[in-house]
Amino acid sequence: MNNTSHGDRSLDYLALVEEARLPASGVAVRLAVTAEFSTPHLVPLLRALAARAGVALEIYEADYDSIEAEILDPGSGLYAFAPRYVAILPAAEKLKAKFYRSEDRAAFAARMVVRFTRLWAALRTSGATVIQGNFVLPSERVFGHFEAKVAESLGAVAARVNAGLAEAARAENHVLLCDVDHIAAEIGRAAWADEALWSLAKLPCRLDHLPHLARAVVGQVLAAEGRMIKCLALDLDNTLWGGVIGDDGLAGIALGEFDEGEAFVAFQHFLKELKNRGIILAVVSKNDRDNALLPFREHPHMVLREEDISVFIANWENKADNIRKLRAALNIGFDAIAFIDDNPVERDLVRRFLPEVVVPEMPEDPALYVRALGAAGLFETASFAEADRERPGQYRVEALRELAKDEFANLEEYLASLDMKIAVERFTPFQVPRIVQLMQRSNQFNLTTQRLGAGAVEALMRDENVLPLTVTLCDKFGDYGLISVVILRFAGAEIEIDSYLMSCRVLKRGVEQFVMNEIFKLASARGVKRVVGKYLRTAKNGMVAGFYENFGFRKDYEWSNGDTAWSLAPADYAPAVVHMAESRVIF
Amino acid sequence: MQQEEIAARLKGIMRKTFDDDGLEVTAETTAADVEAWDSLSHINLILAVERAFDIRLTTREVRAMKNVGDFIGLIGRKTA
Repeated sequence: MNNTSHGDRSLDYLALVEEARLPASGVAVRLAVTAEFSTPHLVPLLRALAARAGVALEIYEADYDSIEAEILDPGSGLYAFAPRYVAILPAAEKLKAKFYRSEDRAAFAARMVVRFTRLWAALRTSGATVIQGNFVLPSERVFGHFEAKVAESLGAVAARVNAGLAEAARAENHVLLCDVDHIAAEIGRAAWADEALWSLAKLPCRLDHLPHLARAVVGQVLAAEGRMIKCLALDLDNTLWGGVIGDDGLAGIALGEFDEGEAFVAFQHFLKELKNRGIILAVVSKNDRDNALLPFREHPHMVLREEDISVFIANWENKADNIRKLRAALNIGFDAIAFIDDNPVERDLVRRFLPEVVVPEMPEDPALYVRALGAAGLFETASFAEADRERPGQYRVEALRELAKDEFANLEEYLASLDMKIAVERFTPFQVPRIVQLMQRSNQFNLTTQRLGAGAVEALMRDENVLPLTVTLCDKFGDYGLISVVILRFAGAEIEIDSYLMSCRVLKRGVEQFVMNEIFKLASARGVKRVVGKYLRTAKNGMVAGFYENFGFRKDYEWSNGDTAWSLAPADYAPAVVHMAESRVIF
Repeated sequence: MQQEEIAARLKGIMRKTFDDDGLEVTAETTAADVEAWDSLSHINLILAVERAFDIRLTTREVRAMKNVGDFIGLIGRKTA
């Protein structure tokens, strides 16, 4: 069950300590934790929170205050552990102590930032993704409110360190930031701090609040593992506006600069920002479709417009069924959908029938909607690419394509009508963020489910035995962008398909057929004997269990866990029929 | 609150914290006598006690405790 990584279940410290005693099952992910504070209390919380999302964290816990010793020494236990993620968690108390001893306070912030960028650089070649914590801004201020005006005061310097870390991290694809200061500030820095516990046990905060830090770290790991919310399924009446459109009419609903109307406008602004950063908005409403669309089309204070909604479902069926339809239309997992509804009965129904769908509690007062949604920790992400802005629109266009499909007698005719243009090319440096993101996000059409960080991707590009390929596609309705990653490995007389993943948005377009044709053209040109590949089964990639078989590959081996190994000689490959209007292949 | 009542509640908290339903303690019991009572679980124990009795313990008070009897006495004074 996945609800809980998103904050629905308890973040109670003692309850989590007990939960951590349960045996964890699920996908194993390796995380190394290095910190300037004592971590034995943090580690069980990380385990328990990850386990709630079906991830069994294997944790390497560095000794207290040994960040440099572990990361700068290639022979350290950390590197032997080969973590996929390395958390670097500094302590504000240590920053303070160093600052007070420092003779050159003007250069302190810059030097502190360099200290961490050196660590990131050391970790780059390992392929691990860094989760870098920042510093909780200190409460003590020798200048009072004048502190910020003094460039070399502790307060000003600490703020500069945090800003410097953020700026440096923007330039590093393999570094994620864990904004610990934000977590502390949300709780209240005075309530967060526990000076007695620091001196007693070197803990970074009051124990009650430690789960919030753990949730932030785990949230980033989960997001990087592709476990993130991709779509919000929104109710309408009393969720996007006050009142019932069917009863109250366009002029009667509360929306705009009076009463509760302002709260709904604010909520819609927040949703629109989420959409602009790539979260798909869908409507799932018990309404007459025309009534439901009316405010989107005609209300002057609606922030969200029809084109902001990728899938619009308004009918009188139950919402669980409608969310099933939505999921099918989007080709994403139930656990990537959050359902937002003011009505506790509807929330309860969806929780009962679709336990994987994330259903945050919503407060009665719409003025608190934004806060409630924010506090649920739903919107972690491990990447942001400009292309994300296009995603909701692409899903919307996809729905239009589905409509167009009905007009054609057969699939071939339909595909030919799309006027598709495809490009297959080697990874370019400029594509790295999107490649990493696609590897994070693709769960279903993914043969081996490798999640490579930016460092590992860059290493592949330098490996002469590897041909790492991207596929981009557009058609007359719009641009899909980079939708598939295929990593080929040359091994003697074989070409091995090491990774093969594709966005489910382009299923049944003939993309994989086109790519397979190219792989076998390459195999023939290089004179290799066989093309080989594996299918590594996960809970989510059943869709591609028959992938190789459909291309005529022979099954060489089947493991007891459902994994399979396949091969095919170039001479035995029958090229697939494809319907691309234009293609560009640059190996 | 009576000493006996505090002692009984403390024992319950210790059993839960140390994940040991059969744990028995006396006033003379120290951390050395209980396998799961280490510096890590000690901090958890203090938090659990603070919550259960709605008190806050100071660093000095925590450091001064030598055995379960001291703990019971301390809770008694703080809740008086």
